[in-house]
Amino acid sequence: MELFLQRTVDGLSEGSVYALLALGLVIIYRGTGHLNFAHGEMALFCAYAVYQFGEWGIPIGIAVVMGMGVGFLVGATAEVALVRPVARKSAFAVFIVTIGLFQFLNWLDGAIWGGQQLPNTGVGSKQISYPSLFPSADTDFVSIFGAEITIKSLGTIGLVLVLSAVLFFVFNRTKLGLAMRAVASNADSAKLVGIRTNTVLMLSWRIAAAIGALGGVVTAGNAQSVSQSLMFSVFIYASAAATLGGFDSPLGAVVGGLAIGVIQNLTAGYVEWVGQEMKVGVSFLVIVAVLLVKPSGLFGTAKVERV
Amino acid sequence: MTLLRTRGLTAGYGPVTVLHGLDLEVAEGEIVVILGANGAGKTTTMRAISGTIPRAGSVEFEGHDVHKSAPDAIVRAGIAQVPQGRGTFPELSVEDNLKVGAFVRRDGGGKIGADALRWFEVFPRLAERRSQRAGSLSGGEQQMLAIARALMSRPKLLLCDEPSMGLAPLITQELFQVLERLNKEEGLSVLLVEQNANLAMHMADRVYLLETGRIVASGSAAELSADDSIRKAYLGF
Ligand SMILES: Nc1ncnc2c1ncn2[C@@H]1O[C@H](COP(=O)(O)OP(=O)(O)OP(=O)(O)O)[C@@H](O)[C@H]1O
Ligand SMILES: [Mg+2]
Repeated sequence: MELFLQRTVDGLSEGSVYALLALGLVIIYRGTGHLNFAHGEMALFCAYAVYQFGEWGIPIGIAVVMGMGVGFLVGATAEVALVRPVARKSAFAVFIVTIGLFQFLNWLDGAIWGGQQLPNTGVGSKQISYPSLFPSADTDFVSIFGAEITIKSLGTIGLVLVLSAVLFFVFNRTKLGLAMRAVASNADSAKLVGIRTNTVLMLSWRIAAAIGALGGVVTAGNAQSVSQSLMFSVFIYASAAATLGGFDSPLGAVVGGLAIGVIQNLTAGYVEWVGQEMKVGVSFLVIVAVLLVKPSGLFGTAKVERV
Repeated sequence: MTLLRTRGLTAGYGPVTVLHGLDLEVAEGEIVVILGANGAGKTTTMRAISGTIPRAGSVEFEGHDVHKSAPDAIVRAGIAQVPQGRGTFPELSVEDNLKVGAFVRRDGGGKIGADALRWFEVFPRLAERRSQRAGSLSGGEQQMLAIARALMSRPKLLLCDEPSMGLAPLITQELFQVLERLNKEEGLSVLLVEQNANLAMHMADRVYLLETGRIVASGSAAELSADDSIRKAYLGF
């Protein structure tokens, strides 16, 4: 029982990071219909930036907020300079452009912080030790029903829950949120009611990138180190989380992320032959199973309209 | 007084010019109908007025030149468009659809809420389904919602693009009665595109006949139906 609780909480914590990244993917996809392949790398660049701010003596709390600001700017630059010029021509071109951005950002990280490794190989890329957002000494845990739950895990989960609550409020209770939902639902009609759809799309990219920045910082902080390959697997899990939850549902992104974290931790812990190496496979099997039953994901809306 | 006046309105898609210089007018409190065959450019005319496609020529609204204005500025000026087909937001609830309709308004939630209640009274079917997703409504209900949504911006001029498309005759009549009532009681001006000439002529103050992007005839409903050649060629009765 203790072990179960512990593994579940650790899984939720791991999944929280996927959720943070998945949220950004979903926000961009909903608003624009684009898949941002560079999302993980945008987050990583911000994580490096926060590390740099720390090196300059800026307290971690402030550095994180600044990092989210960097994310906002990276999102803005990517959208204005790269995505917008090609978006009108073809959605596929946008996908290719974000792959290019992925390559570029990873190279840039390496050039600034990484030494001489080949970009994108991840092999031997330089590890830099990274400040944790939460107390993470061996003694920083609380006992709940005999299980040792780390402060780090609780903090990560708490962060995601708070952020989700804020986003839920923005999406469902504010005019900006209403505009974002309207553009996602019917961009042509959104124009006709006087919404500046371009502004909304622009904001989607920026908000998503800022949230991604937080995801990058938490990932690096929990690992207590950062390297060029840090976000590769996280991005894959985040994409999986968004797929599982439904690519157009922020709630789905959070639930999907948490679910994948928990499934992986439990199967790796309890099913002996699965172990650490195979745990990825299990969550993907679950996703395929869910998609067979519900093709639009757990909370996604199937785009079927009555005619 | 003239509410909307276009002079030499030209518009199209990319290299293709669809409208070849339209001179249109809608006076305050008028219901004006545009008739024309499929592909004549009726929808394009609506889009050119609402600023959702590039256009040239002059568009004056209440004496101000709006031909360079972006769609949101045009909505703010008091023109609302109900597009052809489904103009609703299928993933949003009926209530949220109405709220979005009031997006450009700055006069606070109370008045907006009161307006929504008012349209629920006018369209009781919508009231029953207020928390349902718009995408789950029937075609007629969606058309009502699209009109209510457009009215939420408190327009002076309503552009209505084939509201009767795909609707049962009874529902169409209901919709047109609502439009006529709003026109009579509140002085709402309407620019209406219709295929159903017979129906539209009844409520029209004036009619424009559009053929391949040009106005080929205009006048009161009585004048046009008195002209045999026009009646046979365009009105089909
Ligand atoms: N989005 C578009 N891109 C390119 N051409 C278009 C587009 N929309 C319409 N057209 C062309 O413009 C012309 C006029 O179309 P429009 O939709 O204005 O006609 P309409 O009078 O509204 O017809 P209908 O009664 O069928 O709705 C047509 O030849 C059509 O092919
Ligand atoms: Mg049309």
